[in-house]
This record gives sequence, C-alpha cells and structure tokens, in this order.
Amino acid sequence: MMNLPALIELAHIQLRRRPWSSLIFLGMCLNLIIAPAVYGAAGGEIERSSAWAIGLLGLLTFGLSIYLFVVIFQPERF
Amino acid sequence: MSNSTSKPRRTPQGRRDSRRHTPKVDTKGIYQRAIRDSFVKLDPRVQVRNPVMFVVWIGTIITALLTINPYLFGNVPGENLRFFNGLITVILFFTLVFANFAEAVAEGRGKAQADALRSTKSDTIAKKLSPDGKIQEVSSTTLRRGDIVKVIAGDIIPADGEVISGVASVDESAITGESAPVLKEPGSDIASSVTGGTKIISDELTIRVTADPGKGFIDRMIALVEGAERSKTPNEIALTVLLAVLTQVFLIVVATLPPVANYVKNPVSVAILIALLVALIPTTIGGLLSAIGIAGMDRVAQFNVVATSGRAVEACGDVNTLVLDKTGTITLGNRLAEEFIPVNGHSLEDVAGVALAASVFDETPEGKSIVRLAERLGAEVDFDRTQAEGIEFSAKTRMSGTDLPDGREIRKGAVDAIKGFVRSRGGKLAADLDQAYERVSRLGGTPLAVCQNGDIYGVIYLKDIIKPGIRERFEQLRRMGVRTVMLTGDNRITASVIAQEAGVDDFIAEATPEDKIAVIQREQAEGKLVAMTGDGTNDAPALAQANVGLAMNSGTQAAKEAANMVDLDSDPTKLIDLVTIGKQLLITRGALTTFSVANDIAKYFAILPVIFAAAGLQTLNVMGLVSTQSAVLSALIYNALIIPALIPLALRGVKFRPLTANQLLQRNILLYGLGGVVAPFIAIKVIDVLISAVGLV
Repeated sequence: MMNLPALIELAHIQLRRRPWSSLIFLGMCLNLIIAPAVYGAAGGEIERSSAWAIGLLGLLTFGLSIYLFVVIFQPERF
Repeated sequence: MSNSTSKPRRTPQGRRDSRRHTPKVDTKGIYQRAIRDSFVKLDPRVQVRNPVMFVVWIGTIITALLTINPYLFGNVPGENLRFFNGLITVILFFTLVFANFAEAVAEGRGKAQADALRSTKSDTIAKKLSPDGKIQEVSSTTLRRGDIVKVIAGDIIPADGEVISGVASVDESAITGESAPVLKEPGSDIASSVTGGTKIISDELTIRVTADPGKGFIDRMIALVEGAERSKTPNEIALTVLLAVLTQVFLIVVATLPPVANYVKNPVSVAILIALLVALIPTTIGGLLSAIGIAGMDRVAQFNVVATSGRAVEACGDVNTLVLDKTGTITLGNRLAEEFIPVNGHSLEDVAGVALAASVFDETPEGKSIVRLAERLGAEVDFDRTQAEGIEFSAKTRMSGTDLPDGREIRKGAVDAIKGFVRSRGGKLAADLDQAYERVSRLGGTPLAVCQNGDIYGVIYLKDIIKPGIRERFEQLRRMGVRTVMLTGDNRITASVIAQEAGVDDFIAEATPEDKIAVIQREQAEGKLVAMTGDGTNDAPALAQANVGLAMNSGTQAAKEAANMVDLDSDPTKLIDLVTIGKQLLITRGALTTFSVANDIAKYFAILPVIFAAAGLQTLNVMGLVSTQSAVLSALIYNALIIPALIPLALRGVKFRPLTANQLLQRNILLYGLGGVVAPFIAIKVIDVLISAVGLV
C-alpha cells in the first residue's frame, strides 16, 4: 500500500501533467461528500442522480468564481 | 535630424494625395477563413483567455446537457422544456461564434498581410564575399550578422543590411507599396540601409548584413501584423478586470437566487438562471474587446505604419505633447533659394558666384536650388571640380562648403556659424549682415550667410512654405488637449515667425539633437506622454525615450530599432494621424463598453419581472413581454445579434471628432449610454412579438 506522502506527490505530478482530467477527478471525489449532503437537505424531494448533478453544478460554479478571481488579480495571465 | 530629406505625401485633414500607399493585401477569402476560425476558437483553451465568453461557454455546455435531460437537476415546472433548453443552447452557441467571428475578422486582415509579406520572403541565393574577396553562392538563410554580400541588378537583397559600397536603385514596393525606386548609397545616414526581400533594379551594391535569419525587418513585420506577439495593452487589462468583476458579481447574484426563488414559491430552472446570467454579464464588450484592439493595430497598418505593439497604438491616444521637426512636418520639406542679398559692399553677381562655389558639392534640395538660382543669375564655376573638396554639413559646425584648389575656403551656413568662421580667419563682420539676417528671418525664411575665407559676401534667403491646412490640424489637436512643440535648427526670429504662422504652442530654435531628448524628458517629468518622429541615428535616443516614437522607413536601422512605430512612407506628418487613430481606438472601446453595460438595464427589465411574475414582480414587466420563455429567448437573441451588428463599428472605429475630453464624454454618454438603454428595450420587444407570432414559444 502506498504511503500518504507518495500519494500526495503522485497527485501533484498528475495535476501538473493532466490538469483538466485531474480537476474533474478531484471534483468527482469532492462530490462524494457534497452530493449526499444535497440529497439529505432536499428531504427526499429530488432523486440521487439530481443531487449528484446539483453537487457538480455547485462545484463548477465555485470553480468559475475562483477562475474569475484569478482573472481579477492576475489579468496579465489572460 | 534629417527631415529635410523626407517627402511630404499628405494633404491636410487626413486626406492623402495620390502617393498614399497601403499595403498590398489580398483580402479575398478573409470571411471564409474567419467563419472557419470562429469555430476553431471554440476550443476551451482559447475561450478561457476571455473570462466573459468562457462563462458563456460553460453555460452553453450546461444548457446542452439540460436539452438532453431537462430534469438533470430535479423537477422543474414548464412544458416543452427540451425544445426551450435547445433554443437557449443554440442561441448561446451562436453568441460564442459571433464573438469569435468578430475577433477572427479583425485578425484576418493581419494574417492576409502576413501572407503577402511571407511571399516576398523567399529563400534566395546570396553572393557572399569571403575575406579573400572570392564570391561564394550561399542560401540567404545561412547569412549571419556581419557577413558581406554583393547584389547586382535583378537580385533580391538577401537580408537586412548597410550599404558599404556602390550606388544602386532599389525597388522597395514589396514593403512600402511605393513603386518609385529608392537610391541607396554608402555613408549617408538615411540611404544606406537596405531591407531583405527588396529588389535591386540597377547597378550593384556591397552590403554588410545587420540581422540574423528570422530577425529581419520583414520577419518582425510578419510577427506583428499576424498578432503572434500581441499581448494585452494596459487599457485592455484594466477593462478585462472590470468585466471579470462584473461577471463575478452577476455570477454570485444568480447563484444565490434559487433559495430566494424557492422561498417566494417561484422556483426557477437552471436553464433560465444561465440565460439570466448570460444576459446580465457584459457579453457585447467581452466579445468585441479583442477585435477592437486588433482593428486599431490594423488601421495603423493600413496607414502603412508598422507598430511594434498595441501598447504603442494606445499610447498615441493618450499623448499630451507632440514634438515635431519643422522641416518636412510643419513646412514643406524642400526649402528653396529665393534671393541673394549682398552685404559688405559686394555685388549680386559676387554673392551668386560664391554661393554657387559653396554649393557645387551640396546634393540636398536646398543646395541644388542655390546652384539653380546662381546659374540663373549668370554665375559659373571657375575652378576644377575634381581638384576641389566638398565640406559636408554637420549639426556641430552648422555649415558646409568647398575648399578650392587654390586654397580658398568657401562656406555657407547659419549666420552665427559663418560669423565664427570669419572671425577665425581674421575677417571682419559687415554691419549690414544683421539687417539682411533679420529681414529674411522676419519673412519666416532661413537666412544662410556665405563667405570666402574671412570675407562675408551676403545672405541667401531660403524660403520655407508652411503646409496648407497644418494650422487647422494644430487647432484640432489643441482642442483635444494635445500640445505641439516645434523643433528647428533655425534662429529664434525665423522659428517664432513659423511657429506663429503654423499655430504651434511652443518652439525651440537653434535646436540640436540633444535638445530633442531634453524637451521629451522635461515633458515626461511633468507626467505627460510625448510623441515624436525621427530618422537619423542621432534621433535614436529620443525615439526610445518618447512614449510614441515614429521612425521613418528611410531612416537608419538604429532609429527604426529605437522607435515603437515605423512609417513605411517616411512621412513625419503621419504622427498627427496616429494620435487621431489612437484616440479613435480608446473612444471606440469606451463607447462600446458604455453601450454594453447600459444594455444590462433593458435585459434586467426584460427577464427578472417575468421570471418572478408569481412573486408579484409582474408590474415591472414594462415591456409587456408575453411569457417567461419568450422574454428569456428575446433577451438572449438580442444579446447574440448585437455582437455581429456592432462588428463593423468595432472594426471601423467610432467616427473621430476633435472635441475636448468633456465634450466627448457628454456625447458618448448621450449616444452610447442612452442609446444602450433605449435600443434593447425596442429590439427585445420586437423580437418578443416576432417569436410569439411565429409560435416559437
């Protein structure tokens, strides 16, 4: 079994090598926590798949907001 | 400072005479290429560089998913959701395509110009001279800085260089558009530089290569017009930040809307929220921003001026002070001898004879006109020219002349300089010299004294003609808040007469090249942006110091490298036009930003009241839009269509008017601010009526 520092190192390398696919993967992982919370908060009014989609939409909106902050503070990169 | 050699090719008010040159660009196929490029630019790696359009891109992807599965994010009210979401997706997709198209069209001309330049830059065979004098035929791509090459009539000059021997005519039309050949010879500050890709049409030249492969003038031009080196200008960066802030604000507002909507029991679908976000963020200016900048560069290129960056073009619009050479810019380049005024008891014939002797080796237009006037008065050369030695004019001595075989020294030049020369030869100054000098100066002419050893013979009246219409142009610049400073080597009286006639704000008489850089530094110390022109090596420091340095293509390599713009027509008056283009660029960007932001008001009133109709906001539906779906679609259709509708304005630029900053602001607020509020109200209502009539919703 791989130890934690090696795992972080691997994640870091992958993030730099394949940023988009790594971010999607990390988003999916994070959604493992968010989606059940959304499903629970809805009180059963939505399906599990919708909760998953809403979780991802929330993450995407959050990511978009981070991206816009980067544009605001480092505009010359764009 | 050798502007006397530049040729005036413009008439005032921006209109040009028949010698205007525009780059030979094949614009055929620009639109086909732009259509193709507008789809290629949908690549997210390209879109991410434009924050506003990237948000639209993400929105398009989400609505496309909602078209496939309208209940992706849970149950939403409404009928025909798949069709409605599909329509939103299509409209958002075309919003992106239209924005990309605007940029692609603006880039298209530059690419076409780059293609035309690339076609002149073929690999040629160069005759390289080895140190032992042998000629070796090599490919032009193997030439390096410092190599010596020989070119003969019919050859393409293989690389940029300096002529070290020979005199030849060179066809530079591939670069400048000017069909008349240019004489190239060594030693001259101006005519000794040659450009790779141009063609020698007579005689032969020996050239020292001054640029390594890929770093020549044409290579730099290709990179610039193609936009390969285009980076955002400070104004563009500032505007990008503003647009990102607006987008961020609206993103937060729209993202936090669902809880409020649910609380008032008026749930809103994700597709409508995305439509609302796209309608509220400034997509019009976001889509047209880069096109406006590229088009500004292109307008400069169409003026046959190569700018090293968009920053330089933009700086033209912010210029506060124009430093202009008198000769060639304010007055017609060629001063002509009008009259000889004898002094010191000499006759007119004596003055003509000495003036002729002083000018036989002077190849400048002024020198030739003195020879013509002297010959008209019957003067003849009474010495062996082959035994005489010509003394060239220099900025330091401020005189030129001839050393005759019998030891006589004949000089002509600035009156002070000739006085000094006469004193150094033990001569005495004539009392009537100052009277003649003042008379010519008060006429606005240039007085040149002529002497033989220690004896002053008289004064030559060189007539200077102020360019027609230049006074009106300076008046326009003054109204725009641009100050003009004239630099001249003439004496104070002549300079003040010309300055008054031309209407410049300030002048510096008896100026040396060092004065040029001093006046620029003084103005910059007061926080002003300064523009200037130059062509000589001694102008290079001032060109580098100025915020906008316009070098003449006929100038030296040093001047061209120091400047941030090169005028291929070598017309110094163009600096005034460049200020106009720069201001036009800034005004266009400001006007479209105002219009885009003002549009939001109408879009807000179109979408929000109908979305929250159930919550009692129906009274705000001042446009009386039929339904939520028709309101959303109308606002989005308007949002998409306004981009291509404004492409011509973005590319052509807002019509320039020489008004003060306050007048311009008032005008733009009225036209683009008020127009930006009213136009979408009308357009959205019309679209709503149309789509309801055809039964789209």
